Amino acid sequence: MNMLDAHTWLADHGDYLFRVARRQLHSDELAEDAVQDTLLAALSARERYAGDASPRTWLVGILKHKIVDIIRKRVREVELPRDEDGEEAVDALFKQDGHWAEPLQAWGNPHKSAELGQLRRALDECADRLKPVMAQVFSLREVGGMETEEICKELGITPTNCWVLLHRARLFMRQCLELNGFSGAGG
Amino acid sequence: MKWRTTCKETTELASRALDEHLGFGERLAMRMHLMICTNCTRFVQQINDMRRMLRMDATDEAGPGLSEPARRRIETELQNKLDQ
Repeated sequence: MNMLDAHTWLADHGDYLFRVARRQLHSDELAEDAVQDTLLAALSARERYAGDASPRTWLVGILKHKIVDIIRKRVREVELPRDEDGEEAVDALFKQDGHWAEPLQAWGNPHKSAELGQLRRALDECADRLKPVMAQVFSLREVGGMETEEICKELGITPTNCWVLLHRARLFMRQCLELNGFSGAGG
Repeated sequence: MKWRTTCKETTELASRALDEHLGFGERLAMRMHLMICTNCTRFVQQINDMRRMLRMDATDEAGPGLSEPARRRIETELQNKLDQ
């Protein structure tokens, strides 16, 4: 393989890899690290690249592992949100008897393309606002489509902890969208 | 599993259903609650919509890419490795 390829990868796929990583890492800096780690790993492994997948597909495959590596490191560095944190925020969504405190508003119509675009941007913004680690576990699952069991194992967190993080993230995301105006007729 | 679940418990079941298979009793309890609760029905629909929208590949759409400093830094790292 041509020595120039590594530079071509960066020029041709750098932005794409960055965007993929950014949506799961929720940080420009970490996403840049992921792109760098990916290209360096690709360079070391370039003899093994058989060329039966497109370079982009091959690089994205490597990137997925690098994203998980980076999140694993973050989980060790950042203390996982303790159970009590967030519990209050969840409790505030419900009444004492376990019913919703406020009625849920319908979102705009995600099947209409104009509204779909807006909704998707708002989703990405809301995910950025989740607590660190919660945002990343949520996105590994909901953006990356990784199995929950695999996420827990890879990140070394208990299934219960993993599941609580995902559930709270979904509650907060839904609320964030509603607070951002995706409610009522027409969104 | 109780037969009558609150909204709070139902959201927990609905969320877990996105991650693993629920037991028969859990599924039944959730369905019974959803039959009578508009809010929880909406919640289930919204967390499913959320997943569908987040998994669409939006990465080709224009959006910020690598910053110039980051690009130069990575370029240098690659060159260093090539020179080794």
